[in-house]
Formats: sequence, C-alpha cells, structure tokens
Amino acid sequence: MPASRTRSRLPHPGVIAAAGLISIMVAALVGLASAGGQIRGPAGSASGLLPSPYLQGVVRVAAWQAGLSTVLSLLLGTALALALTRRSAFPGRSLIMAVITAATVAPTIVIIFGVVTVFGRSGPVPVLASQMGLTLPAIYGLHGIVLAHVVMNTPLVARVMLGALAATPNEHGRLGQMLRFSSLDCFRHLDWPVIRREWPGLATFIFLLCFTSFAVVLSLGGGPANATLEVAIYQALRLDVDFSRAASIALFQIMLSLGIVLAFSLIGAGLPDTSGHMAARPRPDAGSRGLQAFDALMIGFAVLLIAPVVLSVLTGVGQLHSLANRQVLDAGITSMILAALAAIMAVTLALLLATAAESGPSGRSSPHRARLIDLAVLALLGLPPFALVTGLFVLLRGQVSLAGAGLVLVPLVNALMALPFVYRLIAPPLRQSTERHGRLAASLGLEGLARLRIVAWPVLKRPLAAALALSAALSMGDFGVIALFGGGDLVTLPYLMAERMGAYRIDEAGAVALLLVTTAVGLTFIADRA
Amino acid sequence: MLELDALTIRYPDFTGRYTLSVPKGALCAVIGPSGGGKTTMLHAIAGFEPVIGGTTCFDGRNLETLPPALRPCSLLFQDHNLFPHLSASQNVALGLKPDLSLSETEHGMVAEALASVDLEDETRRLPGELSGGQRQRVALARALVMRRPLLLLDEPFGALDPGLRKSMITLTDRLRRQHGLTVLMTIHTPSDITHVADLVAFVAEGVVQSAGPPNEILKAGFSPAIDAFMGV
Repeated sequence: MPASRTRSRLPHPGVIAAAGLISIMVAALVGLASAGGQIRGPAGSASGLLPSPYLQGVVRVAAWQAGLSTVLSLLLGTALALALTRRSAFPGRSLIMAVITAATVAPTIVIIFGVVTVFGRSGPVPVLASQMGLTLPAIYGLHGIVLAHVVMNTPLVARVMLGALAATPNEHGRLGQMLRFSSLDCFRHLDWPVIRREWPGLATFIFLLCFTSFAVVLSLGGGPANATLEVAIYQALRLDVDFSRAASIALFQIMLSLGIVLAFSLIGAGLPDTSGHMAARPRPDAGSRGLQAFDALMIGFAVLLIAPVVLSVLTGVGQLHSLANRQVLDAGITSMILAALAAIMAVTLALLLATAAESGPSGRSSPHRARLIDLAVLALLGLPPFALVTGLFVLLRGQVSLAGAGLVLVPLVNALMALPFVYRLIAPPLRQSTERHGRLAASLGLEGLARLRIVAWPVLKRPLAAALALSAALSMGDFGVIALFGGGDLVTLPYLMAERMGAYRIDEAGAVALLLVTTAVGLTFIADRA
Repeated sequence: MLELDALTIRYPDFTGRYTLSVPKGALCAVIGPSGGGKTTMLHAIAGFEPVIGGTTCFDGRNLETLPPALRPCSLLFQDHNLFPHLSASQNVALGLKPDLSLSETEHGMVAEALASVDLEDETRRLPGELSGGQRQRVALARALVMRRPLLLLDEPFGALDPGLRKSMITLTDRLRRQHGLTVLMTIHTPSDITHVADLVAFVAEGVVQSAGPPNEILKAGFSPAIDAFMGV
C-alpha cells in the first residue's frame, strides 16, 4: 500500500495551520524584538526588560480598574442571573433577555456611545440628579471606564450564568422541593456549586478584557492617568510614531497577559460559554417574599443600568436618513468585506485545528496533540491584538502602505482574536463525533474530505454557521486594530462612528450605532438559531 | 392504601388519566412501553405535575393540595439523585435537615441508614467517587431517613448491570418490609421483579390498562397489549 504510506507521511492540514499560527505569533514577536532592539522605557531611558516607572504606573492603574470592573460585573451579573432564574415568568422577562443579548453583542464603541449619551454631562442621569440637588462627577476618568466595563460585562456574566444555572439537572430542583429547601439551602446546594465552577473562568476572562481594554479607555479615560498598555502602545505608534517604545510596551504586555492566561489554564478554567440555553426552571425558593423583593431590586437596577445604554442607539432613529450617503455605504462595504474575510479565516483555521486535534491513529483522537492545539488557541487570548499587529506591521513596514497593511492585518488579527471563541464552538462537537464514530469511520476507511462530509458535517454544520456569525459580529464591531490603520481609504462603521462622536455629530453617530447593533443582534440571532 | 382516582394530567401531546389502588405496605411494579406515561404518573403522585382533575389519596388523605415537601412520599429518579458537591453522608443528611446542622442523634440516624444499605465505609466519598449502584443506595438511604411511608422509584436501577439490578431490588424489598413502606417502582424488565412484587400495573397511552398479581397479569394471553410488550 505505497499510496497510503505516502499519504500518511504528509502532515495533516491542521498541523500546517497550527504551524502557521505559531509562525504568525513568532513573526510578531520577532517584529517586536527587532523594532525594540534597544528596548527602552517610554521616557527614553534604557532600562532593559524591566518596566519603567511609567509602565509600572500604567499596570497598577489598569489592574485596579480591571479588578474593580471584574468584581462589580461578576456580582451584578450573577445576582441578575439568579433573579431571572428564580423568576421564570413575569411580564417583560423576554424583553429583559433581549436587552441582555443585545448588550452582550453590542460593539464596544456603541456601549461607549450609550454611556456618554446616558451618563454624559447633558445625559438624562446627570440632569435628573441635578434636579434632585445632586452633582454627579464627570463621566471621564476611572469611574467612566469602570461604568462602561460593568455595562459591557454584566450582561455577559448574566448570560453565562443563566446558561450554567439552567444546565443544573431538573431533578436537583425537584429534590430541593421534596427536601424542603429554604432560600439559603437553595443557594448553598443549587446555586453556589455553579457559581464556584463558573467564576474563575469568567473572572479571568473579564479581567483580561478590562486590563487590555482599548476603546473604552481611549474614549472615557480622560487622559494618560488611566491609560492601559494597549492605549500606551497606540499612543506610541499613532501619535509619537515611536516603534521602539511601542515594541517594548507590547513585549511587556505579552509577558503579563501570557502569565494571566497561564494562570487561567492552570486553575483549569475554560472560556466562558455563552451558548447555553437560558430557559427558566421551577425553583423551590421562588415563593420567598424576601427573595422576591431582592430579585425585583436586582432586575430593576440592572435594567436601569444596562437598558438605557443599549436603547440610546434609538436616538439615531431620527437620523436614519444620514445613513444614506456615500461615506456610510463605503464604510459599510469595507466593514462587511473585513468581517467576511475575518470570519472565513477564523472558521477555516478553527476547523483545521479542530480536525488536527482529533485525527489520531485508528480513528481515535490524540490527547497530547489535542491538548497542545487547545493551548495554542488559548495562548491567543494572552496575545494582545495591538502587540500582535505592531509586530506584524513592523515586518511589513516599508513594503506596503498603511492602508494596504491594514487591509491585510485588520481581518487577520480580528480572525485570530475571534479564534478562541470560534474554536470553542467547533472543537467540542467534533471531539464528540470522533469519540462516537471515529472507529467506525476508520474501519470503513473514511478519510480526509469524505470523512469530513459523511461523519463530521452533520454535527458541524450548525456550529460552523454559529461560528461564522459570531466571528463576523466580533469583526463588524471591532474598534481596536482599525484605530491604528483607519482613516483615508480604510474606514469601517465603528471608525466612522467614532469620527462622528469626536465631531459631536451625536445623532448621526447614533444612526450608525443603530445600524451596528442591528447587524450584531441579527448575526447573533443567526448564531443562536443555526 | 394509595388510591389514584382518575388523576388527570394534560400536555399538548399527551394526556394521562390514572386510576389505581395499591394496598399499604405493598410493592407495585409499574410496567409498560416507553412514553406510555409511567414516569408522569409517579411524578404526579409526588406533586411535580400539574394535575387538572381527579385525586390522589394516601391513607384516606387527599394529597392534591399539598406541595411536594409535605407529601408522604420520596421519589428516586433514574439519575441525578445526589448533589455532586456533597459527600454520601451529607446527601443522606439533607433528608433530615437541608442546612446539614445535625445533632448527634441525627448523625447516628444517617450512619444507621447508610449501614442499612451496606455503605458504612463510603460515608465520606463524593458521588463522583461512587459506582452507579452505590449512588442509588445513598439515595435510598436518604429516603429512609426521611421516614415517608410512600417510596416512588422511577427506574432508579435501569442503568445498572442485571446482577446489581436484582440485588438492588432485593435490598429495596428488604427495606420495604423492615420499614413498612408502600413502594411503586417503574421497571423495564418485569422478570427482575416478579419474585418480590405484590402487584403489577401495566401503563400504556397514559392509562393504567391492567393491574393485579404478577402471575395473573404477566401470564401469556391475559392481554394482547401486555403480550406485545413482553414479546410473547
């Protein structure tokens, strides 16, 4: 059987993809290292790899705001999820669920717009407060950042926790009823085990998001005092055009973030799963008067905090006609092209990596290879997009224009940033399919595309559609990497929205925000029902 | 005596209407095809199904207005009977006090219940460290400490090996006799239970089609539906 021997010596396409992925990461690091050949602190003093006092300050402030945002988001999101789990039927529950979903997928720039519109100087909250004789602090600064992060992440926590709580076996709720569980017993035996399991992964993920936050800090930070490392890299690249300093900060950030990811994987925490069903279950403690009041308070508070921000995009309804111009059309087309490219890249990479992880001898998966690939994908979480793009841009510098580099790097980096989430949608069903049918497929001699079509496709078509929609939604709303390359010929909808906000054309920005949220919610609807 | 009198449950795709009498202290095996309404009947007796008509009486007392916590019955499910974060003895202790603040006497009751199901050496183990049969025995021990006279078993031994299944049924029968329990047990393989059951109820299409002593009900030719179910 020489033909089959020859075929078996060829590396699996997924292994080539994994090698390509690692090469991109290494290339980014090489680019950073070459630019930062003489690594120095932002103040210009040679300081080796040790962070300068400036960087130490940035890390301290970023860690503080990220920690605060994480704790508040976890507490509020979990309380909201518990309240919604206990209240399985009340008027408006489905509306609240829709707001949670919309807030989870709304692009960052839209949340910023909402926070400024609702909590900004002339927004309804400060106006109402002043009528009551209260003076609220300006939105720009640490509290603005934390507020935006809490508004962004509370719905995420609520969605993950609702799915996890709904996955508790129905029998446990019935046992609670039979065993006369009090409210406290319900929390102790039904809820706490779920919280204890979900919080480490959620906390690490949210901390990482807030610690590397860019758009929120740039827009609401109110100056360099609250900068994160991402903002510092952006300032070094875009404002000071100092590649060496950007590289040194990026290298420092990679080390920090990879450390967090390593801790993340050591505690065995996984990426938060937002795909769980959020169905309500009958609860033994639903009748408690005290909990009814607490739940009403929690739902009311969360809704008052989140809903106005999400609904602020409705200010754009009156300006929908402003969308009918060449600028918006071009930005929309650019966004769609970049999102489609990013989605195709992310899903193709995830599929190749997942099939490589599952292709072992005799139709069985190879645990070591699977673990290695899982770790490589997880490592992307620790690779800040700006660090990645900075390294790659340094390598491309002089070869292509800024816009040309953007056209390549924006979808590539967006795809890589979406990859951990997309991989999580695709790898588990493929793994399950291999466990169930791997040996049968091997015994029938099914390999390559035939195996993919006959064995994997039936279980993968829905996750693939969901993955395409999710990665497209993430890319459509991106206002990170595009901030570096945007302008001139390369303008996306989030970039255009930020420009309009900067020019105080708030209603027109609202119209773009409405378009962005509608697209994101539409794509999520497809992803959820795929 | 447990008496179901036209106990009615209705879903869009299923209607159950059950009439059945089980003498006090008897073991009634509930058999029938999958989807025929056996589980629904047990869950309705336990108070977990929305009943739209009829009555459930035990010892002359109508249970319909009582919530599951106040009914005189314990229900064992096929799976998920234990909380995975609690040890075997803590899972049993839940039957006495859900906040687990037991007195010395109550600790003794838990130990005694675990000993009666031959698990005195496994008290500290978590459910994940126990075999399927051991997990169901822990659930049985909890039902014992709850001291409720009606034990409802919803195919709790269905996933066990045939030998283990038979020994669990023998254990259940022994506990029933020791504690004077009335037992309703759904089961897929009637031959497992004919030696201990006082009564067999054949449930299909949401109705108790036949009920009586095993040697009568399971006799070939008694009912075409039962013959078809038994593969005779």
